Parts: sequence; C-alpha cells; structure tokens
Amino acid sequence: MTTGFAAGLRTSDVAPGTVVPVVVEGRPLCVGRTLDGRWGAIDDICTHDGGDLGDGELDGNAVECPRHGGRFDLFTGRVLALPPVIPVNAYPVHLEGDAVVVELP
Amino acid sequence: MALPNPALDKVPTGYKYGWNDPEMKSLHVMKKGLSAQVVEEISRIKGEPQWMTDLRLKAYRHFEARPMPTWGGDMSQIDFQDIYYYVTATDKAVQSWDDVPDYIRRTYDRLGIPEAEKKYLAGVGGQYDSEVVYHNIRADLEKLGVIFLGTDEALTKYPEIFKEYFGTVIPANDNKLAALNTAVWSGGSFIYVPKGVHVELPLQAYFRINTENMGQFERTLIIADEGSSVHYVEGCTAPAYTTASLHSAVVEIIVKKGARVRYTTIQNWSHNVYNLVTKRAVAYEDAVMEWVDGNLGSHLTMKYPSIYLLGERAHGEVLSIAFAGSDQHQDAGGKVIHAAPNTTSLITSKSISQGTGRTSYRGLIKVYPGCHGAKSTVRCDALILSDEARSDTYPYMEIDEEDVTIGHEATVSKVGSEQLFYLMSRGMSEAEAAAMIVNGFIEPIVKELPMEYAVEMNRLIQLQMEGAVG
Amino acid sequence: MAVDTLATSLEAATVVRISRDEPAWLQALRNSWWRRVEADPWPTGSEEEWRRTKLDGLPRDGALLTEPPLASYQIDPALADRGVVFTDMATAVREHPDLVSAHLGLRDTIPAQASFWARSLAAWTGGTFLYVPSGVEVDEPLIAHTMLPDGSYTYLPHTLVVLELGARATLLEEVSSPDGAAAWFGATADLQVGAEARLRYANLQRLGDSVWRIGAQRTEVGQDADAVTLNAEIGSLVSKMGLDLRMSGKGGTSKLLGLLAAGGTQMIDINSCQDLLGSHTTSDLLYLSALYDAAHAAFYGVTRVRPEAKQTSSYQECRNLLLSPKAGAEPIPVLEIETNDILRCGHGATAGAIDPVQRFYAQSRGLSADEAEQMIVRGFFERVVAQIDSEPIKARILDALAARIGLAELADEVAA
Repeated sequence: MTTGFAAGLRTSDVAPGTVVPVVVEGRPLCVGRTLDGRWGAIDDICTHDGGDLGDGELDGNAVECPRHGGRFDLFTGRVLALPPVIPVNAYPVHLEGDAVVVELP
Repeated sequence: MALPNPALDKVPTGYKYGWNDPEMKSLHVMKKGLSAQVVEEISRIKGEPQWMTDLRLKAYRHFEARPMPTWGGDMSQIDFQDIYYYVTATDKAVQSWDDVPDYIRRTYDRLGIPEAEKKYLAGVGGQYDSEVVYHNIRADLEKLGVIFLGTDEALTKYPEIFKEYFGTVIPANDNKLAALNTAVWSGGSFIYVPKGVHVELPLQAYFRINTENMGQFERTLIIADEGSSVHYVEGCTAPAYTTASLHSAVVEIIVKKGARVRYTTIQNWSHNVYNLVTKRAVAYEDAVMEWVDGNLGSHLTMKYPSIYLLGERAHGEVLSIAFAGSDQHQDAGGKVIHAAPNTTSLITSKSISQGTGRTSYRGLIKVYPGCHGAKSTVRCDALILSDEARSDTYPYMEIDEEDVTIGHEATVSKVGSEQLFYLMSRGMSEAEAAAMIVNGFIEPIVKELPMEYAVEMNRLIQLQMEGAVG
Repeated sequence: MAVDTLATSLEAATVVRISRDEPAWLQALRNSWWRRVEADPWPTGSEEEWRRTKLDGLPRDGALLTEPPLASYQIDPALADRGVVFTDMATAVREHPDLVSAHLGLRDTIPAQASFWARSLAAWTGGTFLYVPSGVEVDEPLIAHTMLPDGSYTYLPHTLVVLELGARATLLEEVSSPDGAAAWFGATADLQVGAEARLRYANLQRLGDSVWRIGAQRTEVGQDADAVTLNAEIGSLVSKMGLDLRMSGKGGTSKLLGLLAAGGTQMIDINSCQDLLGSHTTSDLLYLSALYDAAHAAFYGVTRVRPEAKQTSSYQECRNLLLSPKAGAEPIPVLEIETNDILRCGHGATAGAIDPVQRFYAQSRGLSADEAEQMIVRGFFERVVAQIDSEPIKARILDALAARIGLAELADEVAA
C-alpha cells in the first residue's frame, strides 16, 4: 500500500538523462528522468560505501555512483555494476501536472 | 650475438585483428602522452562503435580527476605523460636484441629457452610462430561454440554480449588505474563458454596471434555460462623484457551458476616495469572461481585478484606466490566478498623476499549481513631470505554476520640453519639446499600450475637462490 | 571527520587554571604538551587506526573534572619505608616532586594516539603514581579503584608507573561510572619497566553506557624485563584504546592481553603497535572479544620487527565470538618485518559464531541454550583469564565479565 508524496520537484527541475537528490518524507531519494522521458526514484545511498548517489550520472536507466562507478537500475534498484552488491529500494514515480510525485510505502 | 634488425621483419598481410592496415600505418604518428585526443584517436583507428568511444572518454575524465592511491607501493616515479599509449605491431618491433638487459639474456640461457621463443619474450621478434598449433585448437573450440578472440575483435564481432558484460565487474571509475585502462585499453582476450561446455585444454594468451600479448593496457573479459568450465593461462616464468614501463591491465570474469573458471597468471616482467592490475570475478550460485597468481618480476606490482561471491554456495580461491629480489616490491594478495549465504573462500599466499626486496600481502575478507554459513580461511606465509629484505602482512576483515567461521593465520620465517645444515650434510651446496627449501615452501601453489610452468618455476628459483645465499 | 578544529571545553586557560598552584617545572611541562595539542588537535580520520571509529559524537562540551574522586591508595608501610610510592598524581607531585619530574611526560606515543596523549599530559587532574625502587619486590597486588560521579564532564587522568632495575609490582586500575550521562574519559598510562623488572598491569573499565573512552597506554620494556598488561573492556558506549608497546632493550618479554565483552550498540576499537627494537625479545598479543546485540569490535594491530632486532619472537592473535546477528568484528593484525633473523613470527585472527557442535554438546548435558552459551563464552575467555596470576585481580575481572555475560556461575567462581 503506497501513498504518493510530492517530491517538491517540478518536471523542469530534472533535465532528461539526469538524477536529482531530494528528501521526501525524511527519505533521501534520487529522482531520475531518462532521455526517453520515463521517471523513477531509488534510495539515495550507494550500498558499497554508504555514501550518497546524489551527484551521480544517469546512463540509460543506470544511476552511476560518482565514487567508484557502481550502478543501480533506476526502476528496480537492482545492481547493474559492481562494486556494490546489495540492491537499493526503488519507488514508482508519476507526474501530476508538472509536479513530481513519488509513491512511498 | 647480433640478430637481424627486427624492424625488417615482415608483418603478415591480411592480418586478422584489424589495425595493421598499411594505409593507416603511414597516417599514424606515434607520440607520448595522454589526452582526450589520443583517446579518441585510439578509438577511431580501431573503428569502434560510438558507445565505446564515449566510454573511453568518460573514463579518461575520471582518470584525470582521481588522485593516485596513497597506500601500497611507491608510484611517485610514474610519469603518465612519458608513456606511449598507442603502439602498433610494427612500432613494437623496434626493440633490438642488444637492448635486452644482460640478466635477462643469461636467464634465458640458463633456463634453456629456445631461440625463437627468446626473441618473442624479449619483444624483439615479430611474433611467435605457433600458427599451425593455433589453427587446430581454434577448430576444436569452434565446434564447441566457444568464442576465443582478441578483445578488440570481440567488440565488433559480438557487440551485444560484449556490451552486456563489459564494465559491469570493474566499472570505469572503480580506481585510477582501471579508469586509465578503460580509456586506452588495447588487446587482451575475450572468452565466452556456452552452457555446459567444458574446455579441457587450458587456453593460453599466445594462442591468439596478436602481438599485443604483452600489451600494456590489456583488457580481458571472460564469461563462463551456466555449468561450463575453462582454464585460462597468461604469462610466462621466463623474464619478459619490455621498454614500456607501465602495465595496467583489467580482467573481468563472470562465472555463472554451476560454472568453474581458473585464471592462472605468471608474471615475470623486467625490473623497470610498474605492474598495476585490477582483476575481479563474480561467482553465482554453486560457481567456483580460482585465481592462481604468480608475481616474480617487475619493479612494483600492485594486484589483488578479487572474487565477489554473489550466489549461494559459491566458492572462491586465491593462490598467490610473490617473489621479490633486490629493488622489487610485490604488493599482492586477494579479496573475497561474501554476499550470499553458505559461500566459502580460501586464500593462500606464499611470499619470498631476498636482497633488499619487499613483499606485502594485502587482502580483504568481507562478509555482508545475512550471509550466514560463510566460511573463509586465509593463510599467508612469508620467507625472508636476507637481512635487508622485508615482509609485511595487511589482512583486512569486515565481518558483519554472526553465523560464520572466518580465520586468518600468518607466519614469517627464514630458512632455518638446521634445515640447511641437514641438507648440505647430504651433499648439496648451500644454494641447492636453499633452493630445495624454497621450492618446498611454495610447493602447494606450484602444484596447481600447468606442468611446464611448474618446471620452469623450480629452475628459476634455483637460479635466484644462487644469488641469495651466502 | 567533523571534529577538525572544533573547540572542546578544554582550552589553554583551563591548563593555566589547573596548574596555578603547581611547581614551575610542572606548569612548563603542561604548557609544552598543550602546545602539541594546539598544533595537531585531532586525528584526520583517514589514518588506518581511525577509519572505523568516527569521533563526531565525542562529548566535547563537558567541563574538566578538576576535583576527581580519588581511589584509596593502600600500601603496606614497610614498603613505603623502602621507597615504594603508591598514590594519586597530585599527591605525588607534592610529596615526591623529584621522582615525578624525573619520569613524567618525557616521551611521546604512537602518532595515532599522539593528540590524546598530549591532551592528558597537559590537562591531567587525577591518575595513579606508582614508583618501585631498584630491587624492591611488591608481592601483594596494588589496587586503585575509582568510582566516577554522574554527569557530563571531561576527565583525563594520567597514570605513571616506574619500576627501577629488578623491581616487581602488580597493579590493577579499575574505573566505573553510572549509566546515563555522556562523558569523555581520556585516561592515559605511561608504564616504564626498567631492566630486569617485572610488571603486571591490569586495567578494568566498567564505564557507563553513554561514556566515550579514548585511551592510550604506552609500555616500555627494558633489557631482560618482563611485562604483562591486560585490558578488560566491559563498559562505555565507544571505547577507543591505543596500545604502544616498545621492546627497547635486549631480551625482554611482553604480553598484551585483552578481554572485551560488549553489547547494546557498543563500539570497542583497539589499535596496537608492538615495536621490537631489541634483539632476543618476545612480544605476544592475545585479544579475545565476545560481542552481543549490535556491538562491534575493531582491532588494528601492528607488529614491527626492526632490522637490527635479531632472534625475536612474536605472535599476535585476535579472536572474536559473534553472539548475535547484528554483532560485527573487524580484526586486522598487521606484520611489518624488516629482518629475516627471526625466531618466530606470526599472527592469527578469527571471527565467527560459537561452533554448533560445542553448543550441541553443552546442551545435551542438560544446560539450557543460554547456560550453554554462557559457559562456552566463559571457556573462550579462559585463555586470557588463566594468565592472570593475581587471584584478587582475577576475581574483580570475572565479576565485571559476569555482569556482561550474565553468568550466575561466574559469581560462584568469584566467591570460591
């Protein structure tokens, strides 16, 4: 059972092909928009070293950690490249007008 | 002994591996130093797809941004701008036999290396003439569906599988040297073994006719599909001479469910080389990954073959031998990350330091929470043969799960005078006795090497001992 | 690390204030150590010894405890007549200034603990002074037990133990404090074991559950001397202890023993450096830890054998029993060996749960699961406990362990 929470972001705040760090309901998240216009969100934490992903890049659907290149799928949280081995949580995102809404459990 | 000028050696026409097109040769100007243009040029000359060019450039940016590591060996003398990042086959043939250092020529003689192989090892000859042997092996592999090519060729011939796995085990930004390799890589092996296929013959680097066998920035990718097995061997116990002083290879290995891979390396680079390598494997459920790592040469080697145990009951082993003579530092070891329950690992490291040499074991055993039933044993033994030699052990452990059994033991010792005396009283010279003791010390690992390597290793140790004792 | 140059409640003025009525030599000594603190106040956090424990949460605002409760220092008058001094530091400064000034604050410690060593040498307000003259043997164990008050304070006692040629002594320093208030307890100890002397030193820490203990212990073992130190870490929220052991003379022996029993969210982080400078010396280390709940133990120990030290012998061992799913350990024993002329050198580290076979065996004898575990943990600790020569000291340590391990039987052992 999830509820939608406004991420405090407008679509214009997230350029296509990028991720933006934001805190929603106390949860640090990375909200991303792929080049082909899909939106997703994952926990803003790299499970390899515990630091955040926030300044990372989005390559296709892979969110890349700036420190060692580890990658997580923006839509499933699955690890796509080492060194992290533990996946992160992923949260569905939808738009209401131009407001970005994240569904949290 | 003078040999014909190798620059006159003919480069075979119709060379399969792409970039010895005579037209291109005349266009290319060899220069030292690294820049985005050099990276782009390397990619362009190889005719790579855009995604690889983009990845190389991104990796170059990471390389520039990252500082050098502050731990490990002394890398202060490496000048990244004083290196050729792109060397063609003919450029490589510029070395002459006269340039090959004495100690290497003498070792070849003592080890009884055949003439043709000497030239090859010294980078003097054009290429090792194993064409006939190679073709027969190639036919057998094709029948099994095994892909075994140079990495350059695999990129163009098998783009989907290449792109699926390349950079997923060691991403471009993993560390500074991996970033460098991702930017300028050339050569190396690509192996794909289909499900259930067992490759009986160890695959060796020189089965691919490719003069980048001793490439500076090799990139190897091995994928063993479910239930398959393969053994890959690279290197040679006889010393390899090269003027290229920085070798920074990357090896990525994926061992799928129930598969088994062994990767054996014997490195004996001449003593002007910095050998900084990143090697990592992932092993899934019931898979087995074994690194057999022999470090005999180079001025400084920093190499920690790693295994990520990602599936239940996966097993990883690292068997490491390091030998450091005067002016050498072998900083090696192994890392195992237990990221699934009931995984097991074994690291065995044997190191020998003599003269003013230094060996360091550096390793990590990490157990993530939830990985119950993990078992790991690390055993490091070091033999110090001289007063001025040095040995260090840095075994890291991060254990975050209760239901595990993790242990590490290490010893440091010297060749006992009683042992020596006993053997000498049997009629051996001091050097012979010392060699026997040292060979006994490394025997558990040497017995895992292919026969011809084991034999050469023992003879090499004998040679080294003649300088060691007394 | 967030700490960098952030202030503590401790400043130059504090040092001036506490040394107001002290002799000039001591004021000068404190000031020179305070200047060391100012030059380099904190570890950066990237040192190997500090990577696993962050100092961000260290309580730094408490006022310095200038009137600390003192242990009662009992000594047989006959020994006092022979020149043995066993008292608190302030009293020692007043009554035996020559002895104190000849030995206090003359040496530095390993870089990892240098800033904390300097801080306590500048601002100590308590601690034990034990001096044993040449040839005097103190057979009875000396015990200094301090019970700290409740409250948020900073307390940096410095203990100085000097054994002259051929002297012998056994000392237990025990400190306890109540649960609740966050305080900073930064005790340091300087143990100087002269040629042919013999020291047994035990430190038992039963601090309250919000206390941060940042300690340093420096032991120098002279020619043919023999030292055994034991650290029992039972309390505190975070305990970071640095052990600096130097075998500076030929032929000495030393043993560093440790017993850690932690629960809750405790973090016990020990770094040690066994520096073998003299030939024919022996230095062994054995640290055992039992970790419950979500406790963590880290151990980074370096054994260094210098090129000029021949025929040395050393073995470093760290063993960790993990007794609950969230407990964790990071034992890292390091060797840096610069000569080949060694007798024996090695190390071992383990981490893991109780062997299920052992557990099964105990339970099949009719013990409950809890009793079986307690008995096995007690057995695990025996390798160190058996090396405590002094019965009264052993009793106090077992009593402290019982509180953590939860063993009624331990209490019986103590009573027996």
